[in-house]
Amino acid sequence: MKTAGIFTFKGASLVALLATSAISALGFIWPFLISEKQGHPQWIFLLAAPCALLLLMISVSNKELDSKSIALLAVLSALIAALRPMGTGAVGIEPMWFVLILSARVFGPSFGFLLGTISMFLSAILTGGLGPWVAYQSFAAGWIGLGVALIPRNVRGKAEILALALYGIIAAAFFGIAMDLQFWPWTLGADTQLSYVAGAALSTNFSNFISYHFLSAMAWDIPRAIFTASLIVVTAKPVLHTLRRAHTRAAFMTPIEFIERVKA
Amino acid sequence: MITFSNVSLIYPHSTKTILEDLSFQIQEGEMVLVMGQTGSGKSSLLRLINGLVPHHTGGILAGDISVDGISTRTVKPGSLAHLVGIVGQNPINGFVTDIVEEELAFSMEALNFAPDVMRKRVEEILDLLSLSALRNRSIATLSGGEQQRVAIGAALVMQPKVLVLDEPTSALDPIAAEEVLSVLHRLVHDLSVTVIIAEHRLERVIQFVDRIIYIEGNGETSIGSPDEILKNSELVPPIVKLARALNLSEIGTSVREVRRATDEIRSREYSQAGVSQRANSPAIRVNDVSHSYDDKVALNKINTAIHHGEIVAIMGRNGAGKSTLLHSIVGLHSPNKGEITVNGQDPTHLKGAARRQAIGYVPQEPSDLLFASSVEEECTLADQGNELATGSTAALLNRLVPGITTHAHPNDLSEGQRLALVLSIVLAASPDVLVLDEPTRGLDYHAKALFGLALKEYATQFNRPVLLATHDVELVAELADRVLFLAEGDIVADGTTLEVLLSSPAFAPQVAKIMSPKPWLTVSDVVQALGDVS
Repeated sequence: MKTAGIFTFKGASLVALLATSAISALGFIWPFLISEKQGHPQWIFLLAAPCALLLLMISVSNKELDSKSIALLAVLSALIAALRPMGTGAVGIEPMWFVLILSARVFGPSFGFLLGTISMFLSAILTGGLGPWVAYQSFAAGWIGLGVALIPRNVRGKAEILALALYGIIAAAFFGIAMDLQFWPWTLGADTQLSYVAGAALSTNFSNFISYHFLSAMAWDIPRAIFTASLIVVTAKPVLHTLRRAHTRAAFMTPIEFIERVKA
Repeated sequence: MITFSNVSLIYPHSTKTILEDLSFQIQEGEMVLVMGQTGSGKSSLLRLINGLVPHHTGGILAGDISVDGISTRTVKPGSLAHLVGIVGQNPINGFVTDIVEEELAFSMEALNFAPDVMRKRVEEILDLLSLSALRNRSIATLSGGEQQRVAIGAALVMQPKVLVLDEPTSALDPIAAEEVLSVLHRLVHDLSVTVIIAEHRLERVIQFVDRIIYIEGNGETSIGSPDEILKNSELVPPIVKLARALNLSEIGTSVREVRRATDEIRSREYSQAGVSQRANSPAIRVNDVSHSYDDKVALNKINTAIHHGEIVAIMGRNGAGKSTLLHSIVGLHSPNKGEITVNGQDPTHLKGAARRQAIGYVPQEPSDLLFASSVEEECTLADQGNELATGSTAALLNRLVPGITTHAHPNDLSEGQRLALVLSIVLAASPDVLVLDEPTRGLDYHAKALFGLALKEYATQFNRPVLLATHDVELVAELADRVLFLAEGDIVADGTTLEVLLSSPAFAPQVAKIMSPKPWLTVSDVVQALGDVS
């Protein structure tokens, strides 16, 4: 017998994760997929994304989270949610991503996904910024946590820190693109050169989006990427050490053996 | 109620057995004390009872443990929650809510009890533990004893048959400790709750318990009545030490018993011990210092001086202003009014190495000073910071507690080892004054004796002052030259240890209570006085 492991998606919850991710991914990229010149189907996704998130959380919390994972999740999400507004959010400087990425590295991508979604949601409540965009932000943060799985498990030392910093840059850029994508059809009027044109060819919309994104990225994504990567480089060693210690101290997957007698 | 049969425990990644072939039974309504040196496995034994070990920690458990007929092998700790209530060492860490009433209701709320049942039980607990006056108070504003009582209350609302407490009185002043213990006594006697308690300060609990489980360092464990166990154990409270020193035939556990046995000794006449001269070269001066937090007065026009080579203990209730006074002296904050100088300097103006050199400070939670990832690293950092030869801090540490694992993480050390580590780091800077806040929490008698020696050596060898805030009257009796007694922010008594401790009924050490009205505080005082006569 073993003590419970840290939370991982498997079986039904893995299916749920894939399905909800697919729905919300559609919610991000629909502007490129719609061919007819009709209204804004994003209304559906504005409803669907939060519902998907809620369902996923319910399915996970029912059985699969044990007390140790919950405790760890609670502490880390509180930490991240509290760190987020500390950077005031101006020009994308939010000192939260490095904690998310480093925690996901130590506790695994499944845990990273939960941590990302929950902490994003929590910080939205804390800062009073609740709105339809929260579900999108939550999913994006969750995927960032999940994506840490791209770094091989056995990389350690300097290479690990370098890989994490690189991933930090990618994650920051990804978050920027995702947020822009979600915002873009709404923000600009219908008639600028960068606007979303409902029903236009994929290439038109795509190039419009890319231009829009690069205009906004200058101000947001680049500082965010630099900030996140440097925070990772500076803090990775002590933070990873502390988290790994927490991992062993919480005794996840440590064997329990009940025997009749210890052999003399 | 609780049955251990042939229990042995090994933690994962360890080859040392924590407990070996332990068998005993605890009946309903018994109060049992678990004693042993720090790190001997007391907490493990307590956590075995509700299954947290090994279900939560992993490990190999041999034999079987059953609580009220349920084997911990077959159920998860959560399923024993209604049966076993557990109160941790530091109650503050276990609180979930802010208000006393809510804290009591919390666990029932989590288990979806009907509101009227909850209401009734909360009322019952408030009455049982005399908490009704505190029901709407914020937990953070309660004193240590009150918090401990709330924690016990929160465990009791589930109406457990077994209550497990890990060092419930170690952070409390003697009066608050009495308060908590009398509550436990009542639970055992009136409600037949089975209580298992681990505690280092034997002098406080020994008179209340029915049996003792003594975990010796070498894996041996003995179980028996207090008299049987204390006759041969190494860890004994002063009261037993006294009985041994006087060759009394019976070992008593309460002041009353031993007082009867020593009638004859007390009736003799003894020569007065000479009063030693008080040093008069002030190192720390405190002039008219007042400090308050919001509208609560913590210090009220304090005037005093601490002299070179003197060991001064600051005593008083939880919340009497002890820590505030120490913080002001150390320079953590400047007081609202008044002035403090340490060897002529204002402590708030000192910085960096100069500060370490001027004032050594061991805070209430010594691990606050530790930030490196291993003992070795801490020692090296201390060497570098104080420009000492490599290894000097480690050597000092090794003298205090030999055989510390140098690659261990500081948080994995036992309480006593951690204190020794902090103390050697602080002493390595060879500070001009040494200030300690509640240094002996969680220390066994052996570690305490070592600690006392180190402080005495520091004070006499370098003729430097030591200032410590503590609730531990036995330590004060052994160690201090002078006692300042604080109450509500005022110094209400200032005098030699003998004067102050003898005159206070609550803060008198055990030996003084037994030997009253003779002016003896410690066993060695008694032995010396008897020796002078014969």
